[in-house]
Amino acid sequence: MTDTWKPDTTAIVGIGATDFSRESGRSALTLAAEATLAALADAGLEPSHVDGIVRCDMDEVPPVALGDAIGVANLEYWGDVGPGGSAPCAMIIQAMAAITAGLATTVVAFRSINGRSGQRYGAGYARDVRVGGRSAFEDYFLPFGMQTPGQYFATVAQRHMIEYGTDEQTLGRIALACRRHANANPAAQMHGRTMTMDDYELSRMLTTPLRLFDFCLETDGACAVVVTSIERARDLRQTPALIHSAAQAGGHDAQPGQMFPALLREDITTWSSTDVATILYRRGGVRPADVDVAQIYDCFTITTLIQIEDYGFCAKGEAKDFIGDGTLQVGGALPINTSGGHLSEGYVHGMNHVVESVRQVRGTSTNQVADAELSLVTSAPTTGGSALLLVAG
Amino acid sequence: MKNENRVLPVTTDPDTAPFWAAAREERLVIKYCEECDRPIHLPRAYCPVCRRRSDVWRDASGSGRVYSWTIVEHQVHPGYPTPYTSVLVELADHRSVRLLGSLPGRVPLVGGEPVQVWFEHLENVTIPQWRLVEAGGA
Repeated sequence: MTDTWKPDTTAIVGIGATDFSRESGRSALTLAAEATLAALADAGLEPSHVDGIVRCDMDEVPPVALGDAIGVANLEYWGDVGPGGSAPCAMIIQAMAAITAGLATTVVAFRSINGRSGQRYGAGYARDVRVGGRSAFEDYFLPFGMQTPGQYFATVAQRHMIEYGTDEQTLGRIALACRRHANANPAAQMHGRTMTMDDYELSRMLTTPLRLFDFCLETDGACAVVVTSIERARDLRQTPALIHSAAQAGGHDAQPGQMFPALLREDITTWSSTDVATILYRRGGVRPADVDVAQIYDCFTITTLIQIEDYGFCAKGEAKDFIGDGTLQVGGALPINTSGGHLSEGYVHGMNHVVESVRQVRGTSTNQVADAELSLVTSAPTTGGSALLLVAG
Repeated sequence: MKNENRVLPVTTDPDTAPFWAAAREERLVIKYCEECDRPIHLPRAYCPVCRRRSDVWRDASGSGRVYSWTIVEHQVHPGYPTPYTSVLVELADHRSVRLLGSLPGRVPLVGGEPVQVWFEHLENVTIPQWRLVEAGGA
């Protein structure tokens, strides 16, 4: 298949984030406004320049409400891109599509979530609730005790262990790399809180084989970015992060619903991220070995392990051989999640990964990878994924 | 048995109602495409392969094997006391079809263990469950 993808025609020109906490004390709308105003200030733009807003469709904040909250008078485009973790890169892609189609010139993409003090994912379901129907087929899963993302990803991890002999230490090395990076990032929730492999192995087992430190941090916070054309980007304050390649894919054998039905795919340890990767590398004209630094969606350690394989950094099933001590840390073969990621910075549903990917291209990360040119960021639970490759403009 | 605190399925959904109606009669049924003779699981109106609309359900043997599992230690729901072992079962007669089950306690598994369906009758709904069977038995 061929397409008419043109690299480096749009760019991320502003990034913004709130603090990451367990109790923000602000509404999701306030957090979204705060992150968006920070992103606009970073770019050297005003709300009056914004004419498009894109969001994840699980966000509480409607695009028009955010526009009104920050004084966007001329909103001409908005969009919803789909669920949770698969959304962030797809949001940038939709912003880019709107810009290249002439529907908007300057688009904000945001994610705002009170993920700890507000609605907690996977917190279980209310008593006496009836589940199922609605084309999501929850009735085949929830009544049987398969009820949370942690339990779902643990079942995937167990299957990966059965098929490939994957061990817990490999999962631990992913957690340790993220923690090491968070220790050097003052904005991270785990800043200053060190962790050893012993700490990892002694952490509480929540749902085998996943322990407490295999889980991301439920977080209150928001992140936002500003996307515009390369022509406009040249006039702004920051070095633009050019969108060199972009891809979304649902993959074959996707199954309905958002998560649990993916346990019925023929292969539960290879995800739609393989399809995303194929498209992404083809459009970018690059190979996995060209990637200098990667922000890989990490709601759980196993999520990152599977994507390291799916994005071709090693063959399927070989993550345990590829990921040695230090492999995933700055200075290693594949530095990942350099802000600390979901596991140790905070869980803003993949949007903090986009922000950190821009920092790497700018050279402003607190864990800067030397000479980082090609920066990968992925958004990927199991049933659909998206990704970007960014380069400095 | 009472329904106290359990998460119960909707049994009136047009796509899945026949599964739950059959369970009430202690039958495990899987939807099939009449044209290409393959399961449509999860059950939907159209066969994703040949696009034929199908309303055919067939009995499954009720034998399966453990495909994967997780032992849940952290309780998130009052109706599901921990520890319990959530198993992903691959049907013996239709290997592409998987169903979930819940076994009490920490069940030591290695994968591939044979399991057999049984039917748990609650008020107004019956849940197909699974139990381990001895090798060579059942």
